[in-house]
Amino acid sequence: MRPSLIARTRSSWKGPYFVAFPNLREALQNNLPIQTQARACTILPSFVGIRFMVHNGKSYLPVTVTQDMVGHKLGEFAPTRKRFTYK
Amino acid sequence: MVHILGVLLRDNSFVKIALTRFYGIGYPTAERICARFQIHDRCKIKSLTPSQITSLASFLASPSTTPLMPILPLASPDYEPPKSTPPTPQMLKRDEVSERRKRDPLVGLKIETELRRQIRENIAHHRMIGSYVGRRHAMGMPVRGQNTRNNAQNARKFNKIERRG
Repeated sequence: MRPSLIARTRSSWKGPYFVAFPNLREALQNNLPIQTQARACTILPSFVGIRFMVHNGKSYLPVTVTQDMVGHKLGEFAPTRKRFTYK
Repeated sequence: MVHILGVLLRDNSFVKIALTRFYGIGYPTAERICARFQIHDRCKIKSLTPSQITSLASFLASPSTTPLMPILPLASPDYEPPKSTPPTPQMLKRDEVSERRKRDPLVGLKIETELRRQIRENIAHHRMIGSYVGRRHAMGMPVRGQNTRNNAQNARKFNKIERRG
């Protein structure tokens, strides 16, 4: 993903939007998942390897952050819509 | 009739229009390219000189490695030209060259197969990390939140993992 795509939507002087997780180091050491509702939080390089439980409006879905996901948002990996089925 | 990189450019069309036959070149980019090679606005393909055609072809083959045009110094309003000497191009220093390359919109130009490959790679990236965008491409659905109750025909046509066109 090109970094300019992100910069075009948000002023670059603000930097990326992210939420500070206080239990980040602890989660990385003990391999505990972080439960969060912050879907708009940008994935920072320091998040790599951490397991998140991202809220999709109903339940918390597991997301394991890899190197390629840096720069995306947490919410991109927890789909909010249910597939349509005929009753 | 001129073939450049396997694309047929018709004799009777304006150069700035004919260049849009390339995948990845629209009207603004075509005008920029014409300006770069000093091809005038109403110039047609048939009136291009062979050297202009070869320089266009070599530029389109690899836009990022083509050498920059020299800067001709601008004349001041009260400048009186000397009788015989042509203007001498200024020599660029190395950091000036890199600075101009950074600002030059045509340096990063990608056309045809290179651009198609880049688009495929971007989609494959989204698919690989399992993001919403990649998922929508795999489903053949609109990616950016458009309605899907009706239509969404372009998405059905184009949004594939191996996207064509």
